[in-house]
Amino acid sequence: MSFYQYKDTIEEGDLVFAFISRGTIKPIVITRDQQLNTRYGHYEHNDMIGMKYGQQMAGARGYGFIHLLHPTPEMWTLSLPHRTQIVYTSDSSYIMQRLNVVAGTRVIEAGTGSASFTHSFARTVAAEGRLFTYEFHEPRYNEAKRELEEHNMTGNTLITHRDVCNDGFELDNIPENFQHDGGINGDVIFLDLPSPWTAIPHLNSVISQTSRVGICCFSPCIEQVDKTVKALQDEGWTEIEMVEVAGRRWEARKDMVKDIKDVVKRLKDIQSRKNQGIENRRHAKVKSGEKRDHDQVDSGDNGSDSDKKFQNLGKGFNPFGKGIRVREGDDGFEWRNVTKVEGEVKSHTSYLTFAYKIPVPS
Amino acid sequence: MTEVEIPEVTTSSDESTRIIEKSSKIITAYQHALIRLPSEGLKIVQLRPDGVISLGKFGSFEVNEILGFPFGQSFEILENLKVKPTKSISQLHDDGEAGENSDEAIEDVEKEKDELTKMFSNSAEHNQNIINIGSKIQKLSNEEIDELKKSGATSKIGQTIIEKMIAGHEGFEKKTIFSQQKYLKRKQQKFLRRFTVEYLGASQLLQYYIEKDIQRVLDMSEESLGLLMTYANIRPGGRYLVIDETGGVILYAMMERMKGQGSIVLVHDNEHPNIIALRHSDYPEESINSMIKTINWLQFVEPDNEKIDWEDATAEELEEMKPSKRAQYDRRSKRAHEINEVINIVQEGNFDALVSVSSLHMPTLLEHVLPTIGGSRPVVIYNQFKELLLETQHFLMSDKRVLAPSIFESRVRAYQTIPGRMHPLMTMRGFGGYVLWGTRVIPKESGVQAIGRGIIKRKREDTPSTEDEKSDKKPKEE
Repeated sequence: MSFYQYKDTIEEGDLVFAFISRGTIKPIVITRDQQLNTRYGHYEHNDMIGMKYGQQMAGARGYGFIHLLHPTPEMWTLSLPHRTQIVYTSDSSYIMQRLNVVAGTRVIEAGTGSASFTHSFARTVAAEGRLFTYEFHEPRYNEAKRELEEHNMTGNTLITHRDVCNDGFELDNIPENFQHDGGINGDVIFLDLPSPWTAIPHLNSVISQTSRVGICCFSPCIEQVDKTVKALQDEGWTEIEMVEVAGRRWEARKDMVKDIKDVVKRLKDIQSRKNQGIENRRHAKVKSGEKRDHDQVDSGDNGSDSDKKFQNLGKGFNPFGKGIRVREGDDGFEWRNVTKVEGEVKSHTSYLTFAYKIPVPS
Repeated sequence: MTEVEIPEVTTSSDESTRIIEKSSKIITAYQHALIRLPSEGLKIVQLRPDGVISLGKFGSFEVNEILGFPFGQSFEILENLKVKPTKSISQLHDDGEAGENSDEAIEDVEKEKDELTKMFSNSAEHNQNIINIGSKIQKLSNEEIDELKKSGATSKIGQTIIEKMIAGHEGFEKKTIFSQQKYLKRKQQKFLRRFTVEYLGASQLLQYYIEKDIQRVLDMSEESLGLLMTYANIRPGGRYLVIDETGGVILYAMMERMKGQGSIVLVHDNEHPNIIALRHSDYPEESINSMIKTINWLQFVEPDNEKIDWEDATAEELEEMKPSKRAQYDRRSKRAHEINEVINIVQEGNFDALVSVSSLHMPTLLEHVLPTIGGSRPVVIYNQFKELLLETQHFLMSDKRVLAPSIFESRVRAYQTIPGRMHPLMTMRGFGGYVLWGTRVIPKESGVQAIGRGIIKRKREDTPSTEDEKSDKKPKEE
């Protein structure tokens, strides 16, 4: 059960995530005599067998490398084939925390979609919990069902092909080990449906009748929230609150420290060189339009030791590497650490409408 | 929190062991619970049978009255320490008997709507006619309110006060219905004697500390806690290395998700670990001790010096010991075995995650910690300051033992959730912390040739240094 437990060594038949780059994580099943081909080299499955999870692997032709990672729901979320808009970790982690999803919780999810949240739920409810997931779109259902089987997740996850909005959640033949008091008895409901308000009235018969039940409806439009809230009120749900989660990823970068004293010093230097006509000769040496790495530039006379950080910078005083290609963090310059938010922010995923239902005292 | 602090009920070990398996569903004797007050104040109480819980100005009630109801149930305080279940903490009129089927539930909703309309029979279309004359607008005097309060500490009185205040409010009819509703809500928070009993989960415990002492939980929000638990892949059966400077809130969240299976090694910077938050956890001490092993940084960093050279006494030696000597021997033996056991666990390493919630300097700390984390396992580090995680991320990027470290920020924005009038609340908490997530990997020592600019040039050189490889290997994903 790879999504439920770690192992250390890669074996034939294992699901492995080949981490190629941040944006490219490829799930592969280790099969003898197969090869993983990427822009960054070729990798023999045979060579992966016996390697440790987490190991870096060099390309078969001597260039490129990948990391071989163990499956986790979070890696799966980053790698999975998108069949629908997926629920990202900032949303899913908050929903599980707020609704107190822990080992043993019984969860109802509709629809399954790309099964991203399904993996996360299944991990967290663990062997003693149960996940009932419903998908009405048949090809997506088949895909997800196959995935759950391949990932050995059917021990605690039951997928059903069903339009819950019209046909409700009740199941005729619940496997014995999925029953609780003879039924589904959900503790936590997650509805990621176009019209959750049509599904909400069907919930009463499949939720716990003895303890508090939590729900989260996941809808992108405020009009959907409006209808959902009304449906929840009508069905006796309380503590209704809608929130949205803003998730951001920050990148660590370096920014050059440019001291005004050095700017002034450089300007003086240029001025004095101009006067001597040296500036013109330097231009003749550099091919126009083409930038060079700073370490390719002649270092000229090494200058005094006190100015060591500006050595290798070519003729003249050039504290910020003007005219040459400088990479972030290159030696010879002064840097400070800064953060930059990811290039494209998920500014809106969906509205999350939470509510609770308390069984009526008997 | 505005209400008077009432001394906390503490658990005696005698009572905590009476809980064999705690319930997260039914309000159960001896357990701790979170009480939510109409004022939005929070209290943690222990539910001792026959005990009385005082909620300050909201009144008092007997514990037995609430046992057996589901967690999440709201109650209203009646006279003589009695309570009755009520549908929610803020519902306007409640005649006690909640509907038995959904038809009646709908009737209840209808009834509530009627009550609202009755009370707000006259409202303005806009606020054009409102003139601010301060407290003079209220004809009901403070003395009269005090008189009413003295006549009994029940919600009925609270309700009466609210009705009289509305009647005595000269400008009430000039308010719009929205502002009338808000007025009513404010008065309910002040005068209604209602409360909700919630299961004390990790989120509730965190919320309690956020209200009471945010510094104790290092500014952490519920969404950051959720990110930590998810990115660290916490589940039953895991073996986790944890640094928790919140006094045990993180440990509690992990234990809730692990359900007694697996183990946690807690590294701490004092002689004794601070796990004070676990006193509310209702886990028996034995199960806490068997699941959580603690080690201090001295033992962690210098394991060989700190291991205790211990030889068990022979049966004969034990025989000869005086009782007092024997007790001393047993204590020392226990300590030596415990310390050596946890040092061995750390030296064995291969932990399933690093979860760090700490104010310690990460780059120096990680030098010691990273070797103990297993391959492909998550490294998850929380800090209230992004800048400190930034430094950590730069360290990890040059270190290469943690793949793709990133800093994540998650902020939840709550809305006024009324159909037709949805909008974000005017203010929200501005902090909540940041979470760094990466994956522990095992870099190849040599023979790794990155693809990218400069490859041809470097082929001419002898051995590429590992430093250069990654920096220009792949295009930035932006």
